[in-house]
Amino acid sequence: MPSQAWAIATRVMRQLIRDHRTMALILLVPLVVMTLIGLSFPDSSVLDYIAPALLTTLALFFGFLLTGISFLRERSQGTMERLMASPVSRLDIVVGYLLGFFIFALVQTLIILLFTVYVLKITYHGALWEIFIFQTIVIVGAVNLGIFVSTFARNEFQMVQFIPLIIFPQIFLCGVIWPVEQMPDYLQWLSRVLPLTYAVDGLRDIMLSGKGLIDVGVDLMVLVGFAAAISIVAAITLRRGVSG
Amino acid sequence: MSEPAVEVDKVSFHYGRLKVFDGLSLRVLRGTSFGLLGPNGAGKTTLIRLLVGLLRPGSGLIRVLGQKPSRQMAHLIGYMPQLPSLYAELSVIQNVDFFARIYRLTDRAERSRRVAEALRLVDMWAHRRDAVTRLSGGMKQRVSLACAIVHNPPLLFLDEPTVGLDPELRVVFWEYFTALTRQGATLVISSHTMDDAAHCDCLALMRDGRVIAQGSPLELRRATGHPEATLEDAFIYFVRRGGGGEGA
Repeated sequence: MPSQAWAIATRVMRQLIRDHRTMALILLVPLVVMTLIGLSFPDSSVLDYIAPALLTTLALFFGFLLTGISFLRERSQGTMERLMASPVSRLDIVVGYLLGFFIFALVQTLIILLFTVYVLKITYHGALWEIFIFQTIVIVGAVNLGIFVSTFARNEFQMVQFIPLIIFPQIFLCGVIWPVEQMPDYLQWLSRVLPLTYAVDGLRDIMLSGKGLIDVGVDLMVLVGFAAAISIVAAITLRRGVSG
Repeated sequence: MSEPAVEVDKVSFHYGRLKVFDGLSLRVLRGTSFGLLGPNGAGKTTLIRLLVGLLRPGSGLIRVLGQKPSRQMAHLIGYMPQLPSLYAELSVIQNVDFFARIYRLTDRAERSRRVAEALRLVDMWAHRRDAVTRLSGGMKQRVSLACAIVHNPPLLFLDEPTVGLDPELRVVFWEYFTALTRQGATLVISSHTMDDAAHCDCLALMRDGRVIAQGSPLELRRATGHPEATLEDAFIYFVRRGGGGEGA
């Protein structure tokens, strides 16, 4: 790994660790959300159906939001300009951010998973490591989606406005709340181009049906493809020089 | 004559429909301090951003240390933007150390030595553990300079480096800048204060995207025809004369 990407990753981690309030929110907010959902669905079969979907949705949501806002701050406080005038490559920046947020996102996923399984007591058949690998791919896509979308925002307020545009439609269209098959044909077609559909489908198969990563290979490959494509697009949008 | 550190030849640049430069030319000799002097909106920051490769000219040629500005030669350059541009949550030493790593100071012992040296130079060693968010504007400016010089580059672009500094520290900064040029480094410094201008070896007086006069502070003052003229008088003289960018 390039040393400069690692320098960026450690800097991102230090920034988060030193920001105690943000750290507390990262760890506590998903638990509050899952508790509310657990209390809202006393019928355990409904909760079983929804929990894996929410697990992967929260990974997408927090990965997207945290990276997007961090990246935006990098631009607004002028440090991005400083980085762009340095020997750092665009790939270093994307990889550095990815690694920096990755550990926090994985810890967050683990906490939500343990809370969902042991406190909310949902039915759980899959292997923990397979859930982790699956979620890893979702997080890679989410972090790079955040980097990419932050290019189009000038401030935090604008970045937050992308949530109803990027995240909410996926929650409604990707089978999180109700099955995709019950939606009109044109919406089913739309759901097939959204990455969360494959994340929800795959994680449900792992957690509820006890399937392995090979069994959910199609979902996994689509998510890998999305993560790779959005990583490339995110790196391309980070231009060093702007023509005049 | 040695190759100039910076060469700008007939450069044009525009932000959308707004034309900033139209055929701008200037040269900065190696081992000198070169001041870009002019009011806000004269084009000083845009020119520095072109020289560090953050912007690309629409037409014309830019050569920095004999090369086109690019990532490959960025380690030879130190850049201090107009805003302090630091990571607010991190401590002073973490910020400087980060930029040292970014500028390829990979050896830990050497990096620690250079970080300490840079922080002592800007008189921030005693505050090295403080979070940047708690620093005053002048202190942030000093840390920002430390980040720009930590890798000891032969060419420095400093965008309004003395803004927010108290007079005593301004003197310290200029003593350091002068020492750097004596060691062979080249400094390009933008400013709108005559106090900074007086310290430079050479000045380009800028207005509305044009260099209206260029020369040493003494040459520019003499060009007014008044022996007691100040640099401010010289600037007004060239503005009224509608200077065309040649030497004084």
